[in-house]
Amino acid sequence: MGCQWVVLVLAIATVFLGCGLHKATPDSDENVLHLSLITKIQTLDSGNMRDVYGMTVGGNIFEALFGYHYLKRPYEVVPVLAEDLPQISEDKLTYTIRIRQDVRFQDDPCFADGKGRQVTAHDIVYAIKRIANVKYRSQNWPSWNDRIVGLDAFRDYTRQFADEWSVDYDYEVEGFRALDDFTLQIKLVRPWPQVVESVLSDMSTAPVAKEAVDYYRARIPQHPVGTGPYRLKTWRRGSYVELVRNANWRGQLYPSQGAPGDAEAGLLDDAGKPLPFVDRIFFRVIEEDQPRWLLFMRGELDFLGIPKDNFDEAIGSSGGELTEEMIQRNIRLEIYIDPSTFWVGFNLRDPVLGPNKPLRMAISRAIDRQALVDLLFNGRFEVAHGFVSPGMNSYDPNIAEYGYSRYDPAEAAELLKEAEKIHGGPIGPLKLGMPGVDNFSRQYAQFLQKYMSNIGLRLNVEYMDWPTYMSEVNNGHLQLFASGVSAGMPDAIDFLELFGTKYFAPGGNKFFYSNPEYDTLLEQAQVMFDSPERTALYRRMERMVMDDYPAVFTTHRVSYALYHSWYKNYKPHVFSYNVLKYRRVDQHERARYADLLAELKKR
Amino acid sequence: MTPSETPLKDKPIIRRLVGKGRSLWADGLRRLRKRRLAIVCFWISAAYFILAGFVFVSEIADWDNMLTRWNEEIGPSYQAPLKSYEWQSMDGQTKSGWSLFGTDFLGRSTFRKMLYGAKTSITVALCASLISLLIGVPLGAVAGYFRGWIDDLVVWLLTTLNTIPYILLVMAFAVVLRDKSLFGVPLRGVTGVYLAMGLTSWVGIARLIRGEIMKRKESEYVLAARAMGCSSGRIIFQHLLPNVFHIIIINFSLRFVTFIHSEVILSFLGLGETDKPSWGAMIDAARAELARNVWWEMAAATVAIFVLSLALNLFGDALRDCLDPKLRTD
Repeated sequence: MGCQWVVLVLAIATVFLGCGLHKATPDSDENVLHLSLITKIQTLDSGNMRDVYGMTVGGNIFEALFGYHYLKRPYEVVPVLAEDLPQISEDKLTYTIRIRQDVRFQDDPCFADGKGRQVTAHDIVYAIKRIANVKYRSQNWPSWNDRIVGLDAFRDYTRQFADEWSVDYDYEVEGFRALDDFTLQIKLVRPWPQVVESVLSDMSTAPVAKEAVDYYRARIPQHPVGTGPYRLKTWRRGSYVELVRNANWRGQLYPSQGAPGDAEAGLLDDAGKPLPFVDRIFFRVIEEDQPRWLLFMRGELDFLGIPKDNFDEAIGSSGGELTEEMIQRNIRLEIYIDPSTFWVGFNLRDPVLGPNKPLRMAISRAIDRQALVDLLFNGRFEVAHGFVSPGMNSYDPNIAEYGYSRYDPAEAAELLKEAEKIHGGPIGPLKLGMPGVDNFSRQYAQFLQKYMSNIGLRLNVEYMDWPTYMSEVNNGHLQLFASGVSAGMPDAIDFLELFGTKYFAPGGNKFFYSNPEYDTLLEQAQVMFDSPERTALYRRMERMVMDDYPAVFTTHRVSYALYHSWYKNYKPHVFSYNVLKYRRVDQHERARYADLLAELKKR
Repeated sequence: MTPSETPLKDKPIIRRLVGKGRSLWADGLRRLRKRRLAIVCFWISAAYFILAGFVFVSEIADWDNMLTRWNEEIGPSYQAPLKSYEWQSMDGQTKSGWSLFGTDFLGRSTFRKMLYGAKTSITVALCASLISLLIGVPLGAVAGYFRGWIDDLVVWLLTTLNTIPYILLVMAFAVVLRDKSLFGVPLRGVTGVYLAMGLTSWVGIARLIRGEIMKRKESEYVLAARAMGCSSGRIIFQHLLPNVFHIIIINFSLRFVTFIHSEVILSFLGLGETDKPSWGAMIDAARAELARNVWWEMAAATVAIFVLSLALNLFGDALRDCLDPKLRTD
């Protein structure tokens, strides 16, 4: 009995203690941003960060050599830690980058006197060698594979060491050298026009202090030591992350130029003012949609992506307009395309689908993409007419005219007859794989089944967990599979590579699409720098793929964000995470929100 | 035979006092008949079983009826119950109609899906119950009768399985079985679900039977059987088990409801039925639909589950009251 009491008391004590620990919400009069993360973040180690939420936080702590202009569209690359854009040699193989001399690491106990030291080119060379280190197992390695002279050799060299810390980083990599403390030289194996956009603007190439890695070793994911406008103050896993201003940050001014319309939208009101505006950033980890929604409505979160279930509450059936309730609360809405493409892919190695283009065309014609968007995405997504997403630099505004996305069941039935002639008989049930067992996957598959049965084709669906699905797709065991991809940069080359023979699964080409003419063009495109000719080539290649129907391209994602009137200088930026330094909070307006709520309640 | 030699039990006076001898079963049935609620519940449950049987047979025999055509488009998406509508079907014709329980996101009848769901739930619950009885009853009986190391082993198994939370264990089983197959039958979907539930839920019945057998193995009729040289197997299966059979029946009827709930939960989590309608899948779909004010799919599935579980529970309770000699009230 006595024992039970002790347990009870301990349990109660734990509950109260827990409450005490978690009650870390800052006072409302502070200059703070209140944001939410919808899942736990895994790591704040720049070299191994890949998840969106880790980067949302890390983007304020770490800085890469380059970044994107905050306001200008189309997206424009600007130097961040670099002095200027890189000098590129005649043969496009050697990049020379000058690094700013006023960059310092944040203060941290890992440095000799606890003061952050000056950042040099060696810190960037170290960061990239660290990604190449096999023992470090960075998720960011694939982008570097076979790109830099000598880096792959270094990767092989690191295999002999017992662990990641004992690797000798003095090993010279010819393609990645610090010519002096503030000059970096990169030598490429072959031209790589996207090197700046795809890797040198990515947080994974932020300078890393070797002192920090040696000091924290396995604890480095919890102890980010960066150069950015903020530094980590507290991180309670699964509860909250708190960032505060980094006193060592060199400073920057709010941009004074923007895209057309920015001035009218008030995005240039702060032009020329010193950044950052906010003293602290408070991220709460809230995994459930409803609490996040309620906190936002109470004004305890400044910004929110609309949860699917609250869509009707926030935005009426009209589509793009806020409801009266939202307008009364001075809540603002931002709708933007999040460059991505989703599809139902065909396995072209399959003996039924591969040699039968009319069959693939019939399937494409039989699917009503607009109905799909309406039923499964609350009418939010955009119908895909090609595979390059709107919002990317080479997006073809006329792609819809080519009619690849046409819904025409009568034509589909005709095509199916032709397909059966080629097949030599009726086409049996096809096997579709879905990457999930959840309700969405089920509804998606049932939708496809319905439209296929309309032209007399049967679909057998297999619902799989992600790893099983991946291995089935990579081994070509499925006939059809639902999948998609998100863009990481404005250049569409990642999308084009999905159809190159070189990139067969387990690479990106899960369709096993192979077209020698396309491969030749792809090789040309991969070494071309941005130009009208390249855009024309990209568009030509896109149509080449579309003509062969390796997939039914269905939708592009459209994001909907809500924010309160006091959350200033918000402009969606789909490629950069280094943006919270631009945000400003109007504290008076935030303070008035409680009165506004009380008033609305009275009415 | 002289009148004095008439057996005592046949004497008119005694017959009037004691009444005609009745077996436990006949007695239970007599008392069950007196409970009107229990009879109603029995018929409700029976209706579900008949419905499930009908769907099952139609599927196998390939009969074309309303329920095998559950996938048919009968109206526009998300049409509210009892409203008449006009819509353009997939083949381009304009049709009009109405539906009893509304339509789902593909314009299919919620009513048909609800009826079809009975088959999914009842097949799973029936198979799972049978598996758990086939494992639990013999194991419990053998452990209770022989005691010793067999008992130790069975009790160890019981307690080990019992320490793992039931739904978690079923989920783990369902996930493991998902990409396996048994004698060429893939264990995906419902097959895996009832195997998982059967393989994990025999603990309760085994424990019950073991206790009951331990209690009864010292009774006179067992001693008599043993004295006559009956084998242990004969004693267990011919003398002991028939005497604890009412416990099995009661446990079966109450356990059945749990299995239906488990099936719904697993389908809700996406581990159960994926191709055919199921109440759990309907509730899962309705979760997102409620935000659009589409309440009928949720309502249909919930009402179907509610009525069946209530009927089975009340009937099971009544059965226990009638069959358990200790709870005799009249």
